[in-house]
Amino acid sequence: MSLPNQTPDLEDSINVTEAHGRVVREAAACAREKRIVDNGIEPISLWAFVACGVVLLVAGGILGTGGRLFSYGSIFREGYIRTPAPGAADAGPVPKEALAAYMSKGAKIYSAKCNGCHGSDAKGNGSTFPSLVGSTWVTGETDLFAMIILNGLEGPVSDGKTYGVMPPQGIGMAAEDLAGIMTYVRNNFGNATGDVVTIDMAKAALEISAARKNAGKSVTGAELTADHVKALPGDVLDPKTLLDPITLAPAKAP
Amino acid sequence: MSSVIQTSTDQDALLRAGIDRSLRHPVMFFLTSGAAWLAVSIVLGIIASAKVHSPEFLAGFPCLSYGRVFPAHINALVYGWGFQAAFAVIIWMMARLSRKECTAAGLILTAGHVWNLGVILGLVGILSGNGTGMPWMEFPAFTWPVLLFSYFSILIWSFIQFRVRPEGHVYISQWYLLAAMVWFPWVFITANTLLHCIHGHPVMAAGINAWYKSAVIFLFFTPVALGTAYYLAPKVTGHPVYSYSLAKLGFWSLAVIAPWAGMQKLTGAPIPYFLPYVGAAATVLLFVPAIAASINLLRTTLASPEVVASSPALRFTIAGIGGLILLAFSAVVLNLPESTLPLAQFSLSGYGFEILALYGFFSFVMFGAVYFIVPRVTRREWLSRRLIKIHFLFSVYGIITVALVALFGGLQQGIGQEDWQQPWQGAATRAYPYAVATTIAWCFILFSNVFFFIHLTLMWLRLGRRSSHPTLLISAHGHGPGPHGEEGDIDNAGPGHMPAH
Repeated sequence: MSLPNQTPDLEDSINVTEAHGRVVREAAACAREKRIVDNGIEPISLWAFVACGVVLLVAGGILGTGGRLFSYGSIFREGYIRTPAPGAADAGPVPKEALAAYMSKGAKIYSAKCNGCHGSDAKGNGSTFPSLVGSTWVTGETDLFAMIILNGLEGPVSDGKTYGVMPPQGIGMAAEDLAGIMTYVRNNFGNATGDVVTIDMAKAALEISAARKNAGKSVTGAELTADHVKALPGDVLDPKTLLDPITLAPAKAP
Repeated sequence: MSSVIQTSTDQDALLRAGIDRSLRHPVMFFLTSGAAWLAVSIVLGIIASAKVHSPEFLAGFPCLSYGRVFPAHINALVYGWGFQAAFAVIIWMMARLSRKECTAAGLILTAGHVWNLGVILGLVGILSGNGTGMPWMEFPAFTWPVLLFSYFSILIWSFIQFRVRPEGHVYISQWYLLAAMVWFPWVFITANTLLHCIHGHPVMAAGINAWYKSAVIFLFFTPVALGTAYYLAPKVTGHPVYSYSLAKLGFWSLAVIAPWAGMQKLTGAPIPYFLPYVGAAATVLLFVPAIAASINLLRTTLASPEVVASSPALRFTIAGIGGLILLAFSAVVLNLPESTLPLAQFSLSGYGFEILALYGFFSFVMFGAVYFIVPRVTRREWLSRRLIKIHFLFSVYGIITVALVALFGGLQQGIGQEDWQQPWQGAATRAYPYAVATTIAWCFILFSNVFFFIHLTLMWLRLGRRSSHPTLLISAHGHGPGPHGEEGDIDNAGPGHMPAH
């Protein structure tokens, strides 16, 4: 206490009051603070120990499922496979008949590539977009049909009329996409050829298309009738064969 | 006699007031810009969440595509709000506990601006498509030395204050804060060096990244929040900390366990396969430090429920501890390798866990600290009890919805993802209602934080109440004081303390 004017006979000296007033003015929030005491000596309660013990057991169990954790001989776990959802344990998708498997692949491609012009019923609009239903070029020889899809078409179509120019669709198209779309259009919308254009046939079509004289240009009716009125080479597939719907490979015998 | 005691406590109060005054601008700068970043982050979070269920929303802006907006949201939350709130609390609390005034306020303020510049550049980098694609490290690589440099410039002074403190006991909060101050640079330098400077195997890089995320939560945000809570709980209630041994258990178990956690995110990836298992086990074990601290803090505070009910600082802190308990249980539930971990690994659950840690736990404790610290550094009381209540209620309801929806919706989504015979669309369909709920809940949180930001800015402008009576959530006198404080209390001196001259 070194306040200058403190008088011993005056308990509540005016200076103390002043100093206290300063505290109240400048440090009210600090003055009402409580002091921190940290040395509580309560013991750790039993149930906290039990809860932590349970968690320790769980953590130990997790380490246990890891097998030989620190075995550096194997960098990662052999044959780690995510387990399928319950009920779907027997691996592999359900096999489908070849025609249905190809068509479901083709349906996706149709809605992405063809739907915009030829329409969801494939009837076109009668002026700029021709109908695919009943067209002899669609249901006829597969080579001819494949060339139109891959390269586009200029000039008159199978019914002799001239519609708009069809742009080529083959850029980036995989053989299985081509096979799917051809099978789909030939067996849907009222067309029913009943046969499957296989992936092998589609591969052949891609090769034929690349080897054309005017490769890169649209085909015309004249070129089609001159060069392409033939079936695509390749083994014919029985439409009832069971296939894996994703890979389109023959399904394993059950 | 009584006047002597009075004067010594008065001098003590003046010392503390001096410390507060020396830190006024740095603390208020970090808190206010942090609150602004929090609001920005929530807006970005709403956009990102809306895109999950309505992909056409704002589809015309490439800079607001999901792949940019979502990382911008998380990074603004972590580096904009989280770190700046932590800076404010650390520099203030370390100065108070070391009983030293801050002599480098200008430097800290400058470094704080550099930090903000780093965050702005980083976010512009993300939104312009130059993010790195590493979760929580999406800022372009050039920002990390900037952030590290300003981090050291901001916190080195707190180390110095601790070094030159008066001899004596080191309080629990100081353990936690010092540990966080040391652990973060270790984590940050390790992760950034390994990911940006040394080009190792990319799968391992993803593992390091997952570890970084976990380490920032458990080796920085968690100790900062716990240190703060250990300061506020006895300070506001006046009770001693319930159990010193529990505090020690909590601190050392965190220090030993937390560095191992994180790599369970990479379960099934071709990395040394003990890493995911050790990560999962460590994350489960984080239950121990979390529960030890929670019990200790709850036993300390709940001994006086009337203080918890009336003090904004304590109410937010208790809510944050509630978040910590929820976090501890979800750490156990989400990391069981044979059942839940595959479901949580790539789904919303991970996000829910992070948001629970960042907002439900860390941010709530930081809000508690803000309500305690700001009246002291500005020497004004909070303007409105109603604004505080709005902030609390909307935040609590919002975060409960976001966290629970993300945790459980994520498990649903995970079941959809695991069913690999169904198209991926199935997983998205399962998550759809949860995504809508998340968007709505973020809107609630935004609402609450806009008011918080306005309230805080008014306080920094010293437009708070001039009164010696704190703004409590429940009036001690049965009737609330008017907006300008108690009757006759407009001036600085409280009733009965008018100087007699």
